[in-house]
Amino acid sequence: MITDAQRFQPFSEEPIRLIDEGGAWVAPFSCDLDDDTLIGLYRHMVLGRMVDERLVRLQRLGKSSFVAPSSGHEAAQVGIAAALRVGRDWVFPYYRDTALALALGWPLEEMLGQMMGTRADPARARQMPAHPGSRALNMFTVASPIASHVPVAVGTAIAQKLAGAGDATVCTFGDGATSEGDWHAGVNFASAQGAPIVFACENNRYAISVDLQHQTGSPNVAAKAHAYGMPGYLVDGMDVLASYLVMRDVMAAARDGLGPALVELTVYRYGPHSTADDDSVYRSGEEVAAWRERDPIPRYRRFLEAREVWSDAREDELRAALKAEIDVAVKASDDAGPVPVEWMFDDVLSRPTPQLERQRERFRAARRAAGEDVEG
Amino acid sequence: MAVQNYVQTIARTLMEEMRRDERVVVLGEDVGKRGGVFLATEHLYDTFGPDRVIDTPLSEAAIIGAAIGMSVHGRRPVAEIQFSDYVYPGFDQLVSQAAKLRYRSGGAFTAPMVVRMPAGGGVKGGHHHSQNPEAHFVHTPGLQVVYPSTPSDAKGCLKTAIRGDDPVVFLEPKRLYRAVKEDVSDDVDFTLPSGSGVRRREGDDVVLISYGASMGETLKAADTLSEQGIAADVIDLRWLMPWDERLVLERVAAVGRVVLVSEATHSASMISEVAATIAEEVLDMLEAPPLRVSGFDTPYPYAQDRVYLPGPNRILHAVQQVLDY
Ligand SMILES: Cc1ncc(C[n+]2csc(CCOP(=O)(O)OP(=O)(O)O)c2C)c(N)n1
Ligand SMILES: [Mg+2]
Repeated sequence: MITDAQRFQPFSEEPIRLIDEGGAWVAPFSCDLDDDTLIGLYRHMVLGRMVDERLVRLQRLGKSSFVAPSSGHEAAQVGIAAALRVGRDWVFPYYRDTALALALGWPLEEMLGQMMGTRADPARARQMPAHPGSRALNMFTVASPIASHVPVAVGTAIAQKLAGAGDATVCTFGDGATSEGDWHAGVNFASAQGAPIVFACENNRYAISVDLQHQTGSPNVAAKAHAYGMPGYLVDGMDVLASYLVMRDVMAAARDGLGPALVELTVYRYGPHSTADDDSVYRSGEEVAAWRERDPIPRYRRFLEAREVWSDAREDELRAALKAEIDVAVKASDDAGPVPVEWMFDDVLSRPTPQLERQRERFRAARRAAGEDVEG
Repeated sequence: MAVQNYVQTIARTLMEEMRRDERVVVLGEDVGKRGGVFLATEHLYDTFGPDRVIDTPLSEAAIIGAAIGMSVHGRRPVAEIQFSDYVYPGFDQLVSQAAKLRYRSGGAFTAPMVVRMPAGGGVKGGHHHSQNPEAHFVHTPGLQVVYPSTPSDAKGCLKTAIRGDDPVVFLEPKRLYRAVKEDVSDDVDFTLPSGSGVRRREGDDVVLISYGASMGETLKAADTLSEQGIAADVIDLRWLMPWDERLVLERVAAVGRVVLVSEATHSASMISEVAATIAEEVLDMLEAPPLRVSGFDTPYPYAQDRVYLPGPNRILHAVQQVLDY
């Protein structure tokens, strides 16, 4: 697999791409993926898009309080997920990684439970929406503070190196995250340790309203890797095959002990930063429309159609099947109902402190005095 | 007088101060073109341009650290931390640099600057959009801390903070940003002295002490009490460091019963400090032990976003306990 790592050049001026806007394969080597794998990538991209659109609707209906739209990031996220060996490698995602989490196999019902804050959320509805996590998938629970997970991911990668089982870690984040001190602290430590970790930046050119020129003086994110002594790959993150194959190769290199790498996946977010944002204040409708023209999903569909493994009929079939799955999961999450009030006191430490126990007692007494149902 | 809400008042006060004093600069994430994610810096960028309204990279350490450096060089920076929950990457700058600058240089260097940050819960924001971090800052000598609860107070305190000679942590109750509108003085020199609290209600049965976001619930509880014929004296601390010991001790000594309310986590909180001072100074005037109604010693929960807050029911329960004592 090391030869694969050499197949792609770090620090290129133009993003690495394997298929062009028309979906034609443009790389000087042939595509080594079988049809099932190719179709699987497509399925996950469409699933990510459909779930994202549904989440935005659920938020409007008041069923969820917040969504960080992921539409436009699907190729990058699905490519990253495909490069992971689920259950062995670890992933430290960020809040926009809806398609990544689904592609890893995060059950739809759990995701919707998290998004809707119901009992269907295995994390007990502790966090706001868009904060996935799954022990079974080695998917570290998201925390809102930007880049705070980067040094943590590095620690896990160092532990993987110590364990010597040949596993690796991926840590994802946005372009804005690369300005935080935690980001630099983590990337530097990984490099000094030769830790098996890939830093995957989903560069959508904006951190809320702040564009890349105001974020950094570096020519691009990948270039930052240079100073840290690791390869930095600039990749067209709207090309799922480039995203997947570069990630696959650098992960293989990390597992082989060749140390960390930084991969910048250039994407565009079609929606606002979040459902609380108004993006028309800082970017033009024409700009968004121009990027819509380059939508990673139809682009990849054209590739599949040219290979004659996809058709309108298969598309309709896929969308109908996914819609049915999503409907079932939304209903199941909704039916699970709200979490009990007193769950808020659990899981602070391995055992509750006497202080917290007393607070809980006083809370109960006040609720009883007000005639509330304390068991509810 | 103009009728305006809290967040509009912040934006207009900044506008006035930037007009008055060209040393005043604003910096933070999304404060420029976007006008701030809550619009607390709306129209500033269009009015003063990118040199005085700086959209920073995503780094709180850079924002606070650079604000200190600009202040040392004669500017009057007003930094925005998008949510107080995101101050921690810049915490070192505030605690190690800003707070100790005057002291460690024997007064040779000072950092007259303001760090504004929306705080508080009840907005369905989970752990990292709901916390009340004031105790960290009150516990750090070298910082002033203020947490105004009304638009008028926000104006007066922000002007005092900008015009003063110290680093000031300026907390804003985001839950109240758009909840209330009131007449706000259009006097461009309207200031409220550092360390001044204010009485919101007058009464002789019990003193309720609160500040910031929890003032809303505290006043609601006082209204319910008054319907029950119980007259609460309500003190809004407003400034947390320095805080108005004279007002608090005078009223508590006169009434003899006190309940302190804050949604911040319970242990080692601001109201714990006030309660301890009451016990030290006027214990013999008390008819009942001071009671605290607070947030819990848990991270701020998402699903129980509202019940976590010390609402009127919990306040009334505590009042009943001090009355029955
Ligand atoms: C430490 C910290 N500061 C500020 C924020 C508020 N915030 C949330 S998302 C965001 C922008 C992030 O941009 P980027 O890293 O490019 O990721 P994107 O959202 O574009 O995918 C900001 C400033 C935060 N969550 N954490
Ligand atoms: Mg971004």
